[in-house]
Amino acid sequence: MTVPALGKAVSIRSLDKSYGATKALNGVSLEIAAGEFCTLLGASGSGKTTLLKTIAGFENYDTGAILIGGTDIGPVPVSKRNIGMVFQNYALFPHMSVRRNVAFGLEMRRLTKAEITSRVEEALALVDLTAYAERLPRQLSGGQQQRVALARALVIKPDILLMDEPLGALDKNLRQSIQLELKRLHAAVGATVVYVTHDQEEALFLSDRIALMDKGRIVQAASPRDLYDRPANRFVAGFLGECNFIPTPTGTVAVRPEKLRVGSQANDCNQVFEARLLSVIFIGRGYRLILELEGIEITVLTETSDEIAALRTNGLVRMGFRKEDIIATE
Amino acid sequence: MTMIARHAEPGRRAAWHGFPVWLGLLPFALVLAILFAVPVFSLLRLAFGEGGFTLAHFQRMVDVPVYRSVLGTTLGIAALVTLLAVLASYPLAYVMATVGPRMRSLLLLLVLLPFWTSALVRTTAWIILLQSNGVVNKLLMGSGLTSSPIAFIYNLSGVLIGMTHVLMPFIVLPLYAAFRNLELSTVQAAESLGAGPLTIFARIILPLTAPGVVAGSMIVFMNAIGFYLTPALMGGPGQTMIAQMIASNINTDLNWPFAAALATVLLVATISMLVLFQRFFGLERLIESGGGKAGEPFTVTSRGRSPGGWATVAAAGLVAAFLIAPIIIVFPMSLGSSPFLSFPPESYSLTWYANFFSTSKWVAALTRSLQIAGVVVVSSVVLGTLAALGVSRMRPRWRAAVETIFILPMIVPVIILAVGLYYLLAPTGLVGSIWGVALGHVVLATPYVFITVRAALKSFDGNLELAALGLGASWPTMFRRVMLPGIAPGIAAGAIFAFITSFDDVVIALFLTNIRSRTLPKLMYEGVAHEIDPTIIAASCLIILVTILVLGANLLVSKRT
Repeated sequence: MTVPALGKAVSIRSLDKSYGATKALNGVSLEIAAGEFCTLLGASGSGKTTLLKTIAGFENYDTGAILIGGTDIGPVPVSKRNIGMVFQNYALFPHMSVRRNVAFGLEMRRLTKAEITSRVEEALALVDLTAYAERLPRQLSGGQQQRVALARALVIKPDILLMDEPLGALDKNLRQSIQLELKRLHAAVGATVVYVTHDQEEALFLSDRIALMDKGRIVQAASPRDLYDRPANRFVAGFLGECNFIPTPTGTVAVRPEKLRVGSQANDCNQVFEARLLSVIFIGRGYRLILELEGIEITVLTETSDEIAALRTNGLVRMGFRKEDIIATE
Repeated sequence: MTMIARHAEPGRRAAWHGFPVWLGLLPFALVLAILFAVPVFSLLRLAFGEGGFTLAHFQRMVDVPVYRSVLGTTLGIAALVTLLAVLASYPLAYVMATVGPRMRSLLLLLVLLPFWTSALVRTTAWIILLQSNGVVNKLLMGSGLTSSPIAFIYNLSGVLIGMTHVLMPFIVLPLYAAFRNLELSTVQAAESLGAGPLTIFARIILPLTAPGVVAGSMIVFMNAIGFYLTPALMGGPGQTMIAQMIASNINTDLNWPFAAALATVLLVATISMLVLFQRFFGLERLIESGGGKAGEPFTVTSRGRSPGGWATVAAAGLVAAFLIAPIIIVFPMSLGSSPFLSFPPESYSLTWYANFFSTSKWVAALTRSLQIAGVVVVSSVVLGTLAALGVSRMRPRWRAAVETIFILPMIVPVIILAVGLYYLLAPTGLVGSIWGVALGHVVLATPYVFITVRAALKSFDGNLELAALGLGASWPTMFRRVMLPGIAPGIAAGAIFAFITSFDDVVIALFLTNIRSRTLPKLMYEGVAHEIDPTIIAASCLIILVTILVLGANLLVSKRT
């Protein structure tokens, strides 16, 4: 492979940054292991892009520290940080061919011509663009431009690879195929990746670890599985996947729609309620039921069954869940 | 587009009662033929001999060293001015693109105000600032930097200062647009790949802004080779340019054929530049700004500017001061009370304004200028609007050619039109009245109306027209009640440019008026060429005020819609 087997570890320590009265980053701390694929997930304005740009050095921070491979990079200018960056709109140099784009970072590092040529060839082969080397960016499709941006960032053997919503501008099918490609590349290259997205499915699919951000803070950082099954609080449970908040005698509990059971299936549940059925919607692989319990709307996802198909709206149905399916309690 | 395509269908046409293309194109085409093509071509014909065909006049241009050197000087000065304008524009455009919206509006004003202020007024102000007992020399001597005055004007530096000041906006504006089109992430990508500030400028910013600069430079060069006013007033004998040579051959040597040969050379040079420009950029570039892009435009992030960035800001400050200084300084000077120019004045009064309004030659010249401008605004608005309507409805095939012809009067050096009209109209007696100069101004001003109305029509939704006609309106009713309100801001802007074009013109007036019909700028020119008395400064300030007022009115109109 062209790129070193391992990137460097990143350590972010109580980072603060304000724009006037608003705190863009509020005591952000995060440890990212070498070779880890870490995603910053959050809504727009949550601070995820600010954090990424701060790691890259495009933005300043007020207090705290960022360490890459154990070295504080605060005083290091962007151009000396050895960071690969893939931008949302790719930011390819429009006046340079694909080859010139990929070679740019190597030229800045004053490598010999021969070495530049061979490394550019390798990088282009890695993203399968050898045939397009002489084209200008505007002559490429969105997916191809994306791959050029990736090759350009990887060819310099960066300590870490930063990606800012790199799939945001692509349509859904292309996005899924590039996600696969990214996962393959990351497995092959083993670089440390910090990836920003607002798309939870993308985050679940790609990441070793997800840091969920809100209002300039990291709310929870964990593996996708832990984040989904053991959310730290109601915000995380609600942000990642759908979640019902069901009132019980012992307090409100959070249960995923696919864990709720209806009708005869509710028999072996620990807690069972009688809820009013508002609507039954066929969604192909099953049904989506909307129930009402004590004035609260509850969503249930079930598999297709005759029993469900026979349910009548506005009637009462039995609904329940098992104790182990409760993901959070307040 | 569908509207136009339907128009071309003969079957639909009868039921349509649309606006006939010929009615739009014909009036301005006739005006151009009679008042532009005929005078220019009859002048050019003189160059090739009145009896039989000869190239002797061109031969003489090459053979006589004086004329050779004038041609060389013209090209040299034009090239130097272009270079200086590019160098001065970069820092200013960079700062305009990277400051906050308020500062940006202020800087834009600093560029646009001189741009729209009469070239004569600006030249006058520069002379006042730079002459041997002028403001700058007094400051320099007062501070002990020099013991004797420095000769800034009546030499090369005077011409370069004056011309760069007049022409710089043609580069600043497209360059600013190029900076705005530059995406922040493109620059950041280069930075993340290891490029320092100088490399980023050389390998990213320079190549990406080059098209805007080249386009602007071609316009500046094209304008500069035909310049008359500034070299005549601010240069010395060594800076005689081709336009002055044309004028002196007519006014003093009465050598019409040789003047015509010089005009031919100037015209060919200008048209070649135009063809080159159109080949590379397309004339739309003169009218439209760049296409919108999705990314965040280039700016300065929270990290602040680099030391190089701050040096650029300082340079931009100097350039901005250079642009606005002459316009700022004439105001206090016009309020002085002594007959000797001084800055700052020892005491303030309205003496020179009173003098202006109580001297019959000034009042008469002002009245005449306003009358002429009135005639010109009305005629050029009608002609330009009709022409724009006609062009917007014609088949796309010939449209570009017609558009080019209709804006030619903006591009051909004014001196050629002025001399040509003089040659054509001298026998008719129109030269002694306001009508001769008004006709010339109509030719100059109509292209501005044409361009602004054409732009307004491009953004006018053609479906509105179809909707009104579909609801039963006749074409004239539709035009009055739907289209006219839509394109009114464009017409208003065109009218304002037409007014300024007429009110500021010197060159046409130099040839087409005499002592009984001279306009305000001509009277000022005569004064500046001999000796500047303070009334001229008061007149300059009045012209600047009128310009500010008119531009302010335009701003109000365009804000309201």
